[in-house]
Amino acid sequence: MLYIENLTKQYGSFTAVKNLTLHIPEGDLFGFVGPNGAGKTTTIRIVCGLLKASSGSVRIGESQAPIGSKEMKRQIGYVPDFFGVYDNLKVREYMDLYGSMYGMRSRDIEKISDDLLELVNLSDKKEFYVDTLSRGMKQRLCVARALLHNPKLLILDEPSSGLDPRARVEMKELLKNLHTMGKTIVISSHILSELSEMCTSIGIMNHGELAASGRIEDIMTQIAGGRRIHIQVASNMETAVRVAKEQAGVTVESVRENEMIIINNKTDEQISMFIGQLIQNQVVLTGFFREEGSLESLFMQLTGEEEV
Amino acid sequence: MNLRINPIIKKDLQVTVRNMRFSWALFAYEGVLALAFLMALAVIKEENSGIYGSTNFYSELIYLFPIIGIVQVCIVTLIVPIITASAISGEKERQTFDIMLTTCMSPFTIVVGKVFSAVLRILFFVAAGMPVMALSFVVGGLNWSNLFYFVLTIILLSVLSGSIGIFCSSFCRRSIAAVIFSYAWYFVIYIMTFVPSIMRRLWWEETSMGETMLFWLFNPIIFFEEFFMQMMTGESLFGTQGSRFTRNEVGDYTYYLSQGKEWLFLSAACILLMSVLFMYVAAWKVNPMHSFTIKLRKIKH
Repeated sequence: MLYIENLTKQYGSFTAVKNLTLHIPEGDLFGFVGPNGAGKTTTIRIVCGLLKASSGSVRIGESQAPIGSKEMKRQIGYVPDFFGVYDNLKVREYMDLYGSMYGMRSRDIEKISDDLLELVNLSDKKEFYVDTLSRGMKQRLCVARALLHNPKLLILDEPSSGLDPRARVEMKELLKNLHTMGKTIVISSHILSELSEMCTSIGIMNHGELAASGRIEDIMTQIAGGRRIHIQVASNMETAVRVAKEQAGVTVESVRENEMIIINNKTDEQISMFIGQLIQNQVVLTGFFREEGSLESLFMQLTGEEEV
Repeated sequence: MNLRINPIIKKDLQVTVRNMRFSWALFAYEGVLALAFLMALAVIKEENSGIYGSTNFYSELIYLFPIIGIVQVCIVTLIVPIITASAISGEKERQTFDIMLTTCMSPFTIVVGKVFSAVLRILFFVAAGMPVMALSFVVGGLNWSNLFYFVLTIILLSVLSGSIGIFCSSFCRRSIAAVIFSYAWYFVIYIMTFVPSIMRRLWWEETSMGETMLFWLFNPIIFFEEFFMQMMTGESLFGTQGSRFTRNEVGDYTYYLSQGKEWLFLSAACILLMSVLFMYVAAWKVNPMHSFTIKLRKIKH
């Protein structure tokens, strides 16, 4: 869906984005993370046609339209981190304004607006002035506005910043719903726990470069050199360590009193066989589990524990 | 035919007319016009009172037209940059401009929308001032076509002032800086266009101002002076009998241009061209794909 090739943005001698190459498949909910100044917003602004790239290309689907062209803009819905309001404009008029800006007909705008406002739970606020809405409502209205022209790609830059916990949950649910409907969504956020819950894949940026991208588990496997498995041993730890070391593709990371942690690149079936081997060798096991990938730990690892 | 109103014009008008400040501004505008009308009436009456002047009183009332007209022109000149100078910078301050740029509207359409929403707002003022203008027609003896031409010139002036405002707004981050920058451009257009002619007369000590007067085509002061002269006397400002400048002073070019209404139309075209140029530069500046920045190097002491 979104193809970014060798994208670079330079401000004088400072390089904000360095040779970024990224492919986001259709229907993906992609989380864009990175410390402040990593180049996430710059990348998003380039894709949306709000900033000129120094070099590189951006493509949506099969379209060869250049960045910033009308064709490209029709395919993107953009939700910025800050919701600017016009005084004295009602929710209905706000939708009508942006629909007209996309060249839509009044009848279509009205019909689609009604559906979208229902989707974002703002149907009852149609006749309210926009500046009287709460921040969470405004942000949801902004999402509805971005969907008005039925874009292929929805880009949200820090949509949850400044929202209270309830509004965050509502926003998360809304994005999940949109993902279920098949929308391709790119979301930049600092709230990693939220991203790890809803994103199908992520991209971690650091110092203008893409440090890693893909499914969280895959990145974890890639970074750690394999999946980490905790094996709890009641007795015969020496034998357990010996058997583990004899296995190809298994590294013993640490051994504690009752626990051994191994890193492996084996399939689930191979892991089952390995556990069976341990039992055959008289090792008494009390449990074993695979460590789930934590986006926080991954983020800290990749960005050198910089400020999130 | 599918006619669409520019969404920015629609939105700006919706937002403006709902604001109570707009009603107060209209009220103030009417008040100033009425005051100017009464003062002008008093002055004309005073000047024509007595034995020798009393017979001229009614014919002198024709001057109410240029007086009220000039007051309107001055107000419009001062108001429009305030409206448009905050148009782009205001959107940037509200952080709505980025969203606008991600829509299918081209930067030029955005700029034109902003300028014409200011022009339409000014037309509200002009329309509100009609009763006072009508009084000057009733007692001044002018016909309605003059009023129509006057509205056209006001639109032209609004477009020029609006385009200067939007041009400055596209270059400045803050609205207040854009307003100041707009008035600086006024100085260039309203005053600096006289400089070549003054230099020619004073430094080169030539009797004729010759081609340097062609700069005056861009000057709205001269345009309005010529307009009022044409409306009231049917004569031009330049080179005709009883006009401000003799044929010798204005040179051949200007003299021939001012024989009919050519000067007026040519000046209107120049002002319009200048406006379009300002709008194009503004659109180019706000377009993220073409935008340039003026780099200021720090001087190290």
